[in-house]
Amino acid sequence: MAQLDIFHYPRSRLKDVDLALASSLEGMLEKEVTSKRLELKEDYENLLRPSLEKILVGIGMQKMLWPEALGGEDHNKPDVSYTIVSALEQAARADVGLAFLAAHSLSLQAAMALEGNYDEDACRAFAPLFCDGSAPVIVSFVLATYGKGEVSPLKGGKYPQVIATSAGDGWVLNGKDIRPSCSGADADLFGVLCSVESEDEPAFVVMPGDASGLYRGAEFKKTGLAASRNAEISLSDVKVPAVNCLWRGEEGFRRLLSWYYLGLAGAGVGALLASYELIKEWGDTRVIKGRGHIFKDNPLTAALMGEIAKEISVSRLLAYDLAGLLAEPETYGDAGSQSIFVAASMIAHDIYSTAENTIHRIMELMASAGYAKEWQLERYWRDVKTVQCYMGSAELAKHDYARWFYQTKTL
Amino acid sequence: MRSIEEFTRPLEYVTPLDKVLGDLVKSWAENEVMPVRRQFDEDWERHEIILPAFKKLMAEYGLQRAPFPEDLGGMGLGRSDATCVAVFRVFEHIARADSGMGLAFGAHIWPMEFITFKPHENRRLCEEFAPIFCDTTRPVFAAMVMTEPQGGSDIENVEIIKGSTLQTTAVREGDEWVINGHKLWASNTGGLAELMAVYCTTNPGSEDLNDFAVIFVPSNTPGVTHGKPYEKAGMATDMNSDVWFEDVRVPVWYRAIGPGEDAKWVGEIMSTGNMGIIAWYVGSMMNIYERLQEFLEPRKYRGRPLKEDDGVAGALADFASTIEALRILGYQSARMLDRQDLYGERWKPKAVAKARAHRYFAADKSLEAVGKVMNLMEAYGADRDWDVEKHWRDLKIIQLVEGSKQLCQIEVARWFFECETL
Ligand SMILES: Cc1cc2nc3c(=O)[nH]c(=O)nc-3n(C[C@H](O)[C@H](O)[C@H](O)COP(=O)(O)OP(=O)(O)OC[C@H]3O[C@@H](n4cnc5c(N)ncnc54)[C@H](O)[C@@H]3O)c2cc1C
Repeated sequence: MAQLDIFHYPRSRLKDVDLALASSLEGMLEKEVTSKRLELKEDYENLLRPSLEKILVGIGMQKMLWPEALGGEDHNKPDVSYTIVSALEQAARADVGLAFLAAHSLSLQAAMALEGNYDEDACRAFAPLFCDGSAPVIVSFVLATYGKGEVSPLKGGKYPQVIATSAGDGWVLNGKDIRPSCSGADADLFGVLCSVESEDEPAFVVMPGDASGLYRGAEFKKTGLAASRNAEISLSDVKVPAVNCLWRGEEGFRRLLSWYYLGLAGAGVGALLASYELIKEWGDTRVIKGRGHIFKDNPLTAALMGEIAKEISVSRLLAYDLAGLLAEPETYGDAGSQSIFVAASMIAHDIYSTAENTIHRIMELMASAGYAKEWQLERYWRDVKTVQCYMGSAELAKHDYARWFYQTKTL
Repeated sequence: MRSIEEFTRPLEYVTPLDKVLGDLVKSWAENEVMPVRRQFDEDWERHEIILPAFKKLMAEYGLQRAPFPEDLGGMGLGRSDATCVAVFRVFEHIARADSGMGLAFGAHIWPMEFITFKPHENRRLCEEFAPIFCDTTRPVFAAMVMTEPQGGSDIENVEIIKGSTLQTTAVREGDEWVINGHKLWASNTGGLAELMAVYCTTNPGSEDLNDFAVIFVPSNTPGVTHGKPYEKAGMATDMNSDVWFEDVRVPVWYRAIGPGEDAKWVGEIMSTGNMGIIAWYVGSMMNIYERLQEFLEPRKYRGRPLKEDDGVAGALADFASTIEALRILGYQSARMLDRQDLYGERWKPKAVAKARAHRYFAADKSLEAVGKVMNLMEAYGADRDWDVEKHWRDLKIIQLVEGSKQLCQIEVARWFFECETL
C-alpha cells in the first residue's frame, strides 16, 4: 500500500483494524490473484471464485457487520464505512469484480445489522447463512430500471422488475426477464426491490437463490466483471416468509444504496490506483521522441499524467468523504435520507465517470500496450465501464440531484 | 425507424464507384458478418469464423485486388480520383458490422498504396504481386509492418524523427536486400498476411530520409517468423503479432518506390489512413444508432416511452448530432484527399496535419458519445448481445492506430502554428 499513500486520504480516521484488514487483503490478493493473472487471466473457477471465497470467508468480510452473538464480528458502527472503502480499494486493485461482489455483501449487511438501523429479526434470519458456513454467500440485487409498462414507476421514474403480492404470512414474487445487478447465474441471495400489488410503497425482499419458482437463464457475455457470472432470472410464484421483507417504502432502499455506492466508490478508486501503478511504470521507462526522452518528462504527456494523478487524488478524497458522511449520521443524517443518498450517488457516479475517462487517457498514453490483455490495464477499463452501466444512467441520476437541490415539483 | 442513411452524406461527392462498392459491402456486412459477429471475440486466436466471413468481401467480391490497375486484374482504385470517398463509404459499411474488419482491410490497402497509387505506381511490383491478390478463391491479406518494440509513434513521426529510431535494418548485398529486425503489432500478422511492407533503415540512426526504406517481403521468405496473435480488449478480427526477420533476403527491386520517396509517401498513408479511421467511427456509431432505436422502442421511464423523456432526449440528440457532424466531416476529409488539385498533395505535412485534426477530433467525440450511450442503456449497455459494448471496445484502439492522440496533437500544432522542434 505504501507507494499509494502518495494519494492522500484521511488516514487518521482509519483504525488499526482497518489498516490491518486492507493490508492483509493486499497481501492475500497479490499472492492469489495478481501473481497468477498472466496464467489464469479471468478464469472464474480457478482464479476468481477461489479468491472470492478467500475474501468473504477466509478474511471474513461476509461476517463483518453481523452481531457477535450470531457468529459475526460485530463491526457494525457507522464508521465501518472507512473499513469498507479501504478494504474494497485493495480488493479492486486486484480485481474490480471481486470488490463489486463484496460491495453487494457489505451493503446488505449494513442494511440489516448496522447500529442505528439494526433489525433483530432480519439478522436472526440471515446472519447464520453468512456466519456459519464455509462457503461464500454471493449476494445480488434486483434494482429498478426502465420499465415495459407492467407496473407503475417509482417516484424517481424507474420501475421495479418484480411484483410482490402479500399472501398470508409471507410474500409471493413474480417477474420475468429480470436483470440482476450481478451473479444471476450463481447468487445465493437476491435482494429484490418489488412493486407491491395495488399499493404505492415498494418493498425490499430477500430471496434465497434456491427458492422454488426461481429460474435462471444462461450466463451471458458482457464487457467486464468476470467475477460476476450474470444471467437473467425469472420468478414464478416464488414464496418467501414475511421476515424476508426488510422494509417498505424508499427510505430503507436508499440506505442500502448509499452503502452500496460507498462500496462501489472504494472499488472505483482501487481501479484507479491500479491503473496509476501501470502508467507510473510505463512513464518511468518508456522513451519517446527519439532517443533519451523519458516519457514522463515530455511536457505534453506529463500534463496528461498530471491530470490523471489529479483525478485519482480527487476521487480518492471523495470516496473517503462519503465514508465520512456515512460514519457520522448524527451530524450529516441517516444513510436513508435523501441528502445522504444523493451525495452517495453523486460521488459514486463521479468516481466512475472519472475512472472511465482517466483509464481512457492512460490507455492513450500506453498505446498498444494499454490495449493488450498482457498489460492488464484494459481489464480495469472494461470493469469500471461495466460497473458504471450497472449503476444506472448517470444522466437520469441527475434528476435525483435536481429533485433534492431544487425541490422540483413534478420531476 | 429512421434509416442510417438519414445522416447526411454530402451527395455532391458521390461517384458511381462509391455507389457500387457501398451497396456491395452493405449487403456483405448484413449477411456475412452481423449474424456471426458476437462469436468473434472468442475466435481471436484462430479466425475460424472470422476468415470465412472475410472471404466473400476480399476474394469473391474482390476487394483485396481493388488497388491494382485494371489491366492486371484489379479495380484501378490507385488510379482513380474518387478513391478516398469510395473507400470512406466501404469502410463505413464494414465498420457498421465490425470496425476490426475495417482495420484489417485498411491495413491491407495501406501497403498497396505505395505501389498502386498514382503518380508513384510501381508497375514492376504491381505485376509481381497482383496475381497473389487476384486469386478469388480465398482471402489474401497484406500487412504494413512498421511498429517496433521501442515504439511505433517515433516511426510514424517521419517529419521530425526521420526514421532515426528504426532498428530493423536492410543491407544491400548484390541484387538483394538482407533484412534483420523485430516488429510488433502489425495488423494481419500472426501468420495471416502473405505480403508485408516492412519499414527499415539502410543506415541505423540516420536522419537522412534516403535511408528510410519500405521493402516488400513475402511472408514465406526464409527467415521470416510470425509470432502468436495477441489477445486484446477488442478488435478480435484484426490479428496482430510479433514478426522476426533473420537474414531475410528479397530482390533489391522489392523496395517500394526508392530513396527519399518511400519516406515521402508515408505521408500519404497517414493522411488517407486517418481519413479512413473517421469512417470506422461513423460506421460503428451508425450501427449503434440502429441498435439504440431498438433498445428504446419498448422501454418506459416515468410512465412514458423512454425516448419521450426530455432528459433522455437531450442525450439522444447529443449522440445523433455527433454522428451527423462526423459523417459530414469524414466525407469532406475524404473529398479533400481526392481533390489534390484544390487542396494540395496528400503526402504533404498540410494534408497529414488536417487529416489528423479531423481524425482525433472524431475519435474524442465518438468515444465520449458511445460511452454515454452505453451508460444510458444501463446494465444492457455492457451486454454482448446489444453490440454497443463491442463497438466501444473496438473503437477505443482506433484512437492510436496511424498516430496516437498526442502524436496527432503535435503534428496539428506543428503545421498550424509553424512549430519547428515539436
Ligand atoms: C489494433 C492495433 C493495430 C495495429 N496495427 C498496426 C499496423 O498495421 N502496423 C504497424 O506497424 N503497427 C500497428 N499497430 C501499432 C500502432 O501503430 C502503435 O501502437 C502506435 O504507433 C503507437 O506505438 P506504440 O504502441 O509503440 O507506443 P509509443 O510509440 O511508445 O507511444 C506511446 C505514447 O507515447 C505518446 N507519444 C508518442 N510520441 C509522442 C510525441 N512525439 N509527443 C508526445 N507524446 C508522444 C503518446 O501518448 C503515445 O500513445 C497497431 C496497434 C494496434 C493496437
